[in-house]
Amino acid sequence: MNNMKYSICFISFFFLFMMMMVNFFFMIYFIMNDMVILMEWEIMSFNSLSIVMSILLDWMSLLFMMFVFLISSVVIYYSKSYMQSELNLSRFIILVLLFVFSMMLLIISPNIISILLGWDGLGLVSYCLVIYYQNLKSYNAGMLTALSNRVGDVFILIVISWMLNYGSWNYIFYLEFMNNDWEMMMIGSMIIMAAMTKSAQIPFSSWLPAAMAAPTPVSALVHSSTLVTAGVYLLIRFNMMLLDMFFLKLLLLLSGLTMFMAGISANYEFDLKKIIALSTLSQLGLMMSILSMGLPDLAFFHLLTHAMFKALLFMCAGIIIHMMNDIQDIRFMGGISLYIPLTSLCMNISNMALCGIPFLAGFYSKDLILELVSFSNLNLMIFFLYYLSTGLTMFYSFRLMMYLMVNDFNLLSIFNLYDEDYIMLKSMFVLLFMSIISGSFLSWMIFSYPYMIYLPFNLKMMVIYVSLVGGMLGYFISNMKIYSVNKFLMTYNLSNFLCLMWFMPNLSTYGLSYYFLNLGQSLLKNIDMGWSEIYSGFGMMQVMKKYSVFYNVYQMNNFMIYLFSFIIWMFILFMMLMFNN
Amino acid sequence: MMKFLMMMIFMIPLCFMKNMFWMVQMMLMLMMFMFMNLGVKLNLFCNLSYMMSCDIMSYGLILLSIWISILMIMASENLYKMDYYVNFFLFNVIFLLIMLYLTFSTLNMFMFYLFFEGSLIPTLLLIIGWGYQPERIQAGMYLLFYTLFVSLPLLIGIFYMNNEMNCMIIYFLKFFNLNNYLLYISMILAFLVKMPMYFVHLWLPKAHVEAPVSGSMILAGIMLKLGGYGLLRLMIFLQEINMKLNYIWIVISLVGGFYISLKCFCQIDIKSLIAYSSVAHMSIVISGIMIMNYWGFIGSYILMIGHGLCSSGMFCLANISYERLHSRSLYINKGMMNFMPSMSLWWFLLMSSNMAAPPSLNLMGEISLINSLMSWSWISMLMLMLISFFSAGYSLYLYSFIQHGNYYSGIYSYYTGVSREYLMLMLHWLPLNILVLKIDYSMIWF
Repeated sequence: MNNMKYSICFISFFFLFMMMMVNFFFMIYFIMNDMVILMEWEIMSFNSLSIVMSILLDWMSLLFMMFVFLISSVVIYYSKSYMQSELNLSRFIILVLLFVFSMMLLIISPNIISILLGWDGLGLVSYCLVIYYQNLKSYNAGMLTALSNRVGDVFILIVISWMLNYGSWNYIFYLEFMNNDWEMMMIGSMIIMAAMTKSAQIPFSSWLPAAMAAPTPVSALVHSSTLVTAGVYLLIRFNMMLLDMFFLKLLLLLSGLTMFMAGISANYEFDLKKIIALSTLSQLGLMMSILSMGLPDLAFFHLLTHAMFKALLFMCAGIIIHMMNDIQDIRFMGGISLYIPLTSLCMNISNMALCGIPFLAGFYSKDLILELVSFSNLNLMIFFLYYLSTGLTMFYSFRLMMYLMVNDFNLLSIFNLYDEDYIMLKSMFVLLFMSIISGSFLSWMIFSYPYMIYLPFNLKMMVIYVSLVGGMLGYFISNMKIYSVNKFLMTYNLSNFLCLMWFMPNLSTYGLSYYFLNLGQSLLKNIDMGWSEIYSGFGMMQVMKKYSVFYNVYQMNNFMIYLFSFIIWMFILFMMLMFNN
Repeated sequence: MMKFLMMMIFMIPLCFMKNMFWMVQMMLMLMMFMFMNLGVKLNLFCNLSYMMSCDIMSYGLILLSIWISILMIMASENLYKMDYYVNFFLFNVIFLLIMLYLTFSTLNMFMFYLFFEGSLIPTLLLIIGWGYQPERIQAGMYLLFYTLFVSLPLLIGIFYMNNEMNCMIIYFLKFFNLNNYLLYISMILAFLVKMPMYFVHLWLPKAHVEAPVSGSMILAGIMLKLGGYGLLRLMIFLQEINMKLNYIWIVISLVGGFYISLKCFCQIDIKSLIAYSSVAHMSIVISGIMIMNYWGFIGSYILMIGHGLCSSGMFCLANISYERLHSRSLYINKGMMNFMPSMSLWWFLLMSSNMAAPPSLNLMGEISLINSLMSWSWISMLMLMLISFFSAGYSLYLYSFIQHGNYYSGIYSYYTGVSREYLMLMLHWLPLNILVLKIDYSMIWF
């Protein structure tokens, strides 16, 4: 295992990287020739309904697969060092590979039944990855993650039965054709619900920060760039159908609120991974909201660029946590740019790409999205949610940057920060490169013609205004000392509300399980151990016992009474026989 | 068909010879192989001999019975090692298999009834003979009397039918239509208790908790499916009355399935949890059959086979833990992943099949059942969603409680999995997930 050349990490890395290259070339070929390949394998068919395993290869699926392969290959390479002393490294790598496999199945299936293979697989494998560490926190987080995702699975199952109306489960054929159908409306709203669970939109957001209990490479791959974007990807595929739906407007509101809520909560958070997780949540809200405005290509664009810099951000966080002796609290960190310049470089660039600093990856997608938001016909609330969230992104990114890079180092007086872990750094540099160039590269690649945007000066500068304000606030708040933090106690309830993600973790764990577990308990007590038992087995036994005791009294008592009753019965019988004819 | 019966009958002397434990299993495997090559590809009854025959529906269930019997013997190696009445055990298994074989393959309604009830006897003997606690007597009584209480009306119903139609051949039932609600009640109640439906399920968790592993496997694997098989066969001549009254059972099953799934969260006994989960699954099967449409029938058939393999495998796993820790409590069976990481994989695989993860038969069955129920009434969506969601909940609860976290510190000694166990689990899981590739075989009956 110690031999680098033949380790499972290296072999998997090599394989995934090769797959990435293959997908890359195919993607270019497909995009140039405008090609789509649809393959079907029939599993069963009767009554003119057929269940098929479909595979759809077009530039979108190939491009997404290429990105997933790229991130997963570098993440596995990174795990070689990060999971170095792990006893069950093979298990870990196999789980990650299974995850990639499920993701691929999800990406290439345009069929609502065969998509289940990937969709359920993602939920189950991500559950295994979240509970990878054997502690109570990961246990709870895993359960929350799996059950939140299961809600989406159930919605997909129900969608299957609604699709029965059309005679086939290849949804891509019905998206435009059946647009105004009532059944299609049900399907659409359920698909949106399913996508909201996978992409952690507002009623289901609590699992995403909780899933940070997973090992950091998993967070980099699963909970930032691939699994959580599965919902967005599904909606991109379904986009044609959703355009006129009322539910889409609801989605716009919910995703806008998700973006805003996550942005605020990230500012209250001190856990390094959770900050990044919340920023993922905020970006997911951005993708979802731009999708629900009817611009799926922009959502896809942002999905891909975001995957790059967010994976990088998580990998930097992993390296920092590794060096900080497994401490994730950013209050212990500070001034690390002096000790680990290369990691800090990656961290800063990915953070800036996240903020949308010009000509990094995030700039191309985010700026375009925000300009199109200003360009389109929206109400004030959605508009403000977008711009406030953009400002908040800047806010928490600068706060994080200040906490990590600028302030004093606050850990123990003996520490060992080193920047020579080249396995991790090499894999990070791949993503560093991508998070610089992928924005421009993708914008040239996937948009066949440029968007024409015509805005007044102030609206055009709006992004820069909110970013500057956000950055300044981030700088100020990172300078806040511990006694100022205590001033938050003055607004205790508000702070509680905001930093606990609007109470969503509580609501989706204790809030739900309490009622259902209580109901189950009382059903068990009252029906299984109560009424059912009384009116069947146990009750019958009691009745039988009672009557046999009763008859025993007759038989065991005076023999004369027994004989007398016998004679009376004989007499009655005799009388009946006599008077019968 | 007769040759398989003869083969099983002449295996009985083999059971009483010394050191023939694995030989019996091998012979059963041989029989399984022969039966697989029987080539039943018709929707009609084929391979007629005397009063036995087999169409696709009975073919699948006979295959499942032989398969589960093989795995029962495989799982009960402990009896062989401790020489705990092995001969009688083997005889019991073979006898049970004969009964099940005849139940599934017979064409005569009365014979069906006879063997349907006859299979209770070896099951009862398995429970009170090789069970662990003294409470097994009570569990056996529950098993016997719950099913007997409602099966006597079935007998009278069958005789009534004979009186009315002068015919007891199952195949010809499709030409009759008896619109009599007393007959309806007496015909289906026996099967509903056997399935078991919610409210009359109390015997099942008790029997499972007290049964040895082989008893649990055959109970969950086949005995519950007897009820489904009977319903699938007998629904046909009650069509008119079915249309009027079936919604009662559908509603009870759907709501009951949800309630049972909630009760699963309150179980602390592994076996009891698995038993409750099979009641929840069977409730969807009942509603699928009662819907009386094609999707429902094939779905319930597929789910019966899938659940037979899956829950039997889960009982095997529960027994594997029990043999090591001598407890089935969730509080003692903890952190097993630290001891048996490979077994943890099988726990996960079977658990995920239990919650209908792809590509298992359970998912295929559940999809068909959801389709059928939704085409009946889309409001059933609510209950189906809850059942499906909570099935994931209790499966994950079971898995993670047993596998994850710290182990119980009072463990004195422990040994890891042996290859027999892994093989046994693989033989449960593989058909469960491979058969889905050729699932259209289950679509061609009727």
